Amino acid sequence: MRYLVIIIMSIITLNTSAQNTEKPDYAVTVVRFADLEAILQKNDDKLYVVNFWATWCKPCVMELPEFMEVNKAHQSNPRFKMILVSLDVAKDVETAVRPFLAKNKMSVDVYLLNDNKRMNEWIPAIDKNWSGAIPATVFYRNGKKLEFIENRMKKSELEQVINKYL
Amino acid sequence: MKKIGLILCSIILLTGLVQVKAQKMENNSEHKGYKIGDEATDFKLKNVDQKMVSLSDFGDAKGFIVIFTCNHCPFAKAYEDRIIALNNKYASQGYPVIAINPNDPKVEPIDSYEGMQKRAQEKGFTFPYLMDEGQTIYPQYGATKTPHVFLLNKENGKNIVRYIGAIDDNYANPNDVSHKYVEAAVDALLANEPIAQTTTVAIGCSIKAQMN
Repeated sequence: MRYLVIIIMSIITLNTSAQNTEKPDYAVTVVRFADLEAILQKNDDKLYVVNFWATWCKPCVMELPEFMEVNKAHQSNPRFKMILVSLDVAKDVETAVRPFLAKNKMSVDVYLLNDNKRMNEWIPAIDKNWSGAIPATVFYRNGKKLEFIENRMKKSELEQVINKYL
Repeated sequence: MKKIGLILCSIILLTGLVQVKAQKMENNSEHKGYKIGDEATDFKLKNVDQKMVSLSDFGDAKGFIVIFTCNHCPFAKAYEDRIIALNNKYASQGYPVIAINPNDPKVEPIDSYEGMQKRAQEKGFTFPYLMDEGQTIYPQYGATKTPHVFLLNKENGKNIVRYIGAIDDNYANPNDVSHKYVEAAVDALLANEPIAQTTTVAIGCSIKAQMN
């Protein structure tokens, strides 16, 4: 009997989650740098716009609405992909990062890079001139870095770079 | 036909080279501020006790642990106790901590002078905590974020930059640090040995200035 209840409950849960697929669930995938690197090295002709940010970073939070506008304008393009890489601490995924995404209705691929102790390795791997300040945005295609910007980007600047490569 | 091919190939190669060169030059020009071995400028900045502080005030110092830090940034806050510990350990050995808040309080009100006074008192800072008023010093050093350390060594009366970067390799957990970069660098200077790792990078809060 107990099993039956569990099965029925599972079916109900599965159904509801299936129905919810159209609504964004503000998922955050916690990754190590190697996982992120694998995504950036994809040979799929897509222009990857990768923004490093954190919920506590004011200039990051200020530029994100415009990033979302630009993402909305391009997300139907199969050759375009925007990725946000949160540098919040992993334990804040449920308490800070997902609530932030939900509050701002941000439907975009979000990863949390949980690799604190190896910052001195992966920061130069992204760009040798990156001092580690955020926000920072990097543009890739087919594993090749096209641009790296260690600063807040205005919408016009972001669009300019995207239009250059798209 | 072969010749044309060769010429075309050469042109393509040359354009490639020129582009690579141009990119490299851009990259170099992006990297402003001090490099290891450069002489660091002195300054006269206001401390939280209203007194002006310069490096030249510290006649006995062998050098300085200059740290650009602030009140609001979670990374800077995570390192406050470790900055106090650095000063406690090294001031008496000739390398005091000089903390400088590089942020524009108009952009980040928490980093106001009053905010600095309050924070210094709350945490019992044992070192100068200076305001980079007018934001003229941090760009010369090339600080981009908080915290950002510049270890200076007095050599023939000049303050020479000997280490630039992070305090250690784990901001989130002081109990799980494997590399104490700044301590290793100061220890090397004290022992008159070369510094093994002269630059490191870590994520930090960008320095707050008004956007054009």
